[in-house]
Amino acid sequence: MTEIKKLIIPLTDYPHMPYWATLEEAIVLLNFSHESGFHTVLVFDEFYKLLGMLNWKEILRAINPKFKELSSEKIDIITSWDDNKFKMPIKDFMSPFDITVDAGDDILKVAYLLLQHDIDIIPVKESEKVLGVVRMHDIFHEITGLILQSKK
Amino acid sequence: MRRLLNIFRRKVAAPQPASDEERPFKERYLYFKKLLSENNAVLEIMADLEDKRSGEYIFDMNYIRTSCSKLVDSVQNIIVNLDKLSKGKYPDLYFAFAKINSKIEATLTNKTEIPVTDFTIPFDSVTKDMVNSVGGKNANLGEIKNKIGLPVPDGFCISAYAFKRFIEFNELKNKIILSSVDIVDMEGLNKISREAQNLIMQSQIPPDIESSISNAFSELSRKISSRAGSPTASVRSSAIHEDAKFTFAGQYKTALNVKADNVIENYKRVISSLFSPRAIFYYKSKGFEEEDMVMAVGVVEMIDAKASGVMYSRDPTDAEKNDIIINAVWGLGKYAVDGTVAPNVYIVSRDEPRTILEKTTPGQEVMLKCNPKEDVVEVEVPEEIRTTSCLTDDQIKSLADYAIVLEKHYDTPQDIEWAIDEKNNFFILQTRPLRILKEKPVKNIQAITKGYKIIINNGNIACKGVGAGKVFFIKKEEDLEKFPEGAVLVAKHTSPKFVTVMNKTSAIVADVGSPTGHMASLAREYNVPTILNTKIAMKTLEADKEITVDAINGNIYEGRIEELIEAGKRENPFKDTAVFKFLRALLNNIVPLNLIYPEDEKFSPDYCETFHDITRFAHEVAMREMFQVADSPNIKKREAVKIEVKIPLEIYVIDLDGGIKSDSKKITPDQILSMPMNALLRGMMDIEWPGPPPINVKGFLSVVASTAMQPHSEKLLWEPSFAIISREYMNFNIRLGYHIQTIEAYVGDNINDNYIRFLFKGGGASIDRRARRTKLIKEILERVDFDVKRTGDVLDARVTKYDKPNILKKLGILARMTAYTKQLDMTLFNDAMVDWYLKEFINKYYIAE
Repeated sequence: MTEIKKLIIPLTDYPHMPYWATLEEAIVLLNFSHESGFHTVLVFDEFYKLLGMLNWKEILRAINPKFKELSSEKIDIITSWDDNKFKMPIKDFMSPFDITVDAGDDILKVAYLLLQHDIDIIPVKESEKVLGVVRMHDIFHEITGLILQSKK
Repeated sequence: MRRLLNIFRRKVAAPQPASDEERPFKERYLYFKKLLSENNAVLEIMADLEDKRSGEYIFDMNYIRTSCSKLVDSVQNIIVNLDKLSKGKYPDLYFAFAKINSKIEATLTNKTEIPVTDFTIPFDSVTKDMVNSVGGKNANLGEIKNKIGLPVPDGFCISAYAFKRFIEFNELKNKIILSSVDIVDMEGLNKISREAQNLIMQSQIPPDIESSISNAFSELSRKISSRAGSPTASVRSSAIHEDAKFTFAGQYKTALNVKADNVIENYKRVISSLFSPRAIFYYKSKGFEEEDMVMAVGVVEMIDAKASGVMYSRDPTDAEKNDIIINAVWGLGKYAVDGTVAPNVYIVSRDEPRTILEKTTPGQEVMLKCNPKEDVVEVEVPEEIRTTSCLTDDQIKSLADYAIVLEKHYDTPQDIEWAIDEKNNFFILQTRPLRILKEKPVKNIQAITKGYKIIINNGNIACKGVGAGKVFFIKKEEDLEKFPEGAVLVAKHTSPKFVTVMNKTSAIVADVGSPTGHMASLAREYNVPTILNTKIAMKTLEADKEITVDAINGNIYEGRIEELIEAGKRENPFKDTAVFKFLRALLNNIVPLNLIYPEDEKFSPDYCETFHDITRFAHEVAMREMFQVADSPNIKKREAVKIEVKIPLEIYVIDLDGGIKSDSKKITPDQILSMPMNALLRGMMDIEWPGPPPINVKGFLSVVASTAMQPHSEKLLWEPSFAIISREYMNFNIRLGYHIQTIEAYVGDNINDNYIRFLFKGGGASIDRRARRTKLIKEILERVDFDVKRTGDVLDARVTKYDKPNILKKLGILARMTAYTKQLDMTLFNDAMVDWYLKEFINKYYIAE
């Protein structure tokens, strides 16, 4: 079927950071990239080796771990916030992962992996180099678009 | 050319021999240092010469000659040292030097050239350009007659060349010696004068001159006999420097109503007056040389004036007034000039139509008239005209018209002698520049400023004067385009680029800068009152607020203070002296700066017109040469010392001269004596470095190649960084992450030497993110006064002429910025991130002044 090549958002256009960047920097970056619809920061080491990713969910968890639980307790964001966390490197919050796809892979394989691992984006590599990412968002449109077209 | 080079090369002794390995660096550094010190010597001498040009000091030829010869030496040394430093890259500088120097030599040895002409020259062929042949007064009369077309009496000149021939014919040069005259010893002066005058009177006029005069007189008689029965003439002095820029008013003799037979005798009498005590005094005190004492003579048709007088095209006591002032007496004008009688005074408005504003007729008892035979005689003024005006209203107005015509032609107010004959024909007898008397003491300026608010009272005066206007900040080059007429230019630091607005600016104020800098020199050339190094002007002054800059006392006042501005205006008593003219002529080949923009293709030896150009060019390219030293391929082979320091950088230093105090192979930061290196290291130790600590990267090399963004063009640089240092100097090539940066700095006691240059290139992220990082760096550097050029991920920044503490402080900021921006390109997703990091850096690490 369709190769994912045309759905790739090149790394150039996608938020990414070295693992020593602070949580604060990542929050700032995701706020500034909000309008572009990007919810995730890719995390690299100094050699541009992909280490993991940090998305909205992980950051919210970092802000207050209690978000995870169903709690009736009232939480004051400001007072419960620990300033020191701001200065911690994002490697402490990111989710490490090694699921990647190849630029030549089929769209269905990618859809499968996204669902299987319950993730929103997936990095695309070409001979060890990270080309960019594909998003669930775009996969959805691509697949459902094709189905709608075939019905006409 | 080879000879020229050899002369130059002999001038500089070879520096101390170093070991073969070290020679290139040590030697080049020594040449660089020598060049810097010569550069300062040149700037200082120039500043001093220009200061003299301001006219506040008395100085003599000897001062100028000594200064010039020092200047020539230093400029030569600059060229030679640059030649050695650059290994002969700029041979054309030698030609530029030779060209300029020959002009300076010509000015220095310049004597008044007396052109070879006929012994006599009729007025018909004289113009004002012939001063050196016919003297000032004759030249002006010829100009009026032939170029302006106003009526003057006919006549001829006995040329300067005739004078020269007369002196030579009688061997007077060896007999009249003035060089030993002490002008304050009146008795000695009188004695020398008497001797000289006697010698002239006893000398013989060479026969060829005598016959030339006699023929010219016959020709004159033939021309004017229709006007006067038996023509007589006045024999008038017309010295070479008379009536041009210098007013030798009344220094010399004039013989009136002379008959043909007595012209020769009177010629001798007139030229002997060149050696009257007061004329000698005048010459010597104005700095003329003996060779300049040359006199031509005018033999002018005698006008037996009905009335005559003097006219000023403006009021000399107040040039702002719009008046023409005419004095008139009955008879010959001598009585108007010497004050024997009270003249009629007419004041006429300069505006058209001319109106007579005032008319005074005090009454005149006696007048001077031509004796029918010869000479002049005092007679009584006929009863019926004693109290009547010498001129009718119409005549007054036509005379006023002449004043305007003359002023316009000479482009400066005129002092005019005139006469009207019995047939009511006007004649202009003489015209010369009018001295406007508006000198005011400047010493008392402070006294009149009480009650005004002083905003700034520190700084160094670079060009004296007072200027007022609205504050206009120049923060970047483009601001110059919007510079409003009459504003005060306020900037953080100085730049020769300000020259483009110097005709518009009423004063210049800068936080830093030196009176010996390039811009200061330009300010003096354009006479813009300038105070530099105020330290606080940028933050103290407010845009668009009116201020008065008193660059005499070094104060800046709130508002516009007319008294100060008025007091700041002054004509200079020495400005018209020959020493002055000489200095000005000389400075033309020394001071003007033509090489303003280093990036301009005309920034080359071919376009060097002055010593200032050569100096600026050499300094600029010398810095470039030094900057490249660290790129030299064999640098890493050299023995270097490792600095043990807890930062993620492996630093080795090579000491050129007093940069470290240890022989050990490993040193601690405390053992670094190099001021710039020290400041940089402290800055780097100040900050927490982002990212991983240094690691042994050998095992990672394969990873590097395959994971970098552009694996083929970008490689992680994990090589040692090398710094070449001396006590004052540092050239530090930093290899950090995926980029290269070089920081070069010189920090000495003379702020003209001091600079930091910062070059940054590359990165590991995509080009747009790398470009965002250079954008961030540019923003930071511009906040600390760097002049930054940036193209994509390449950035070249420079800051110059700050004092030692400031340069060191800036190096500290540069160090922190270096650490802060390391691999930051990866993160710079968009411009908003750039702004955020900029704010962060400023809040955290940029230590405000």
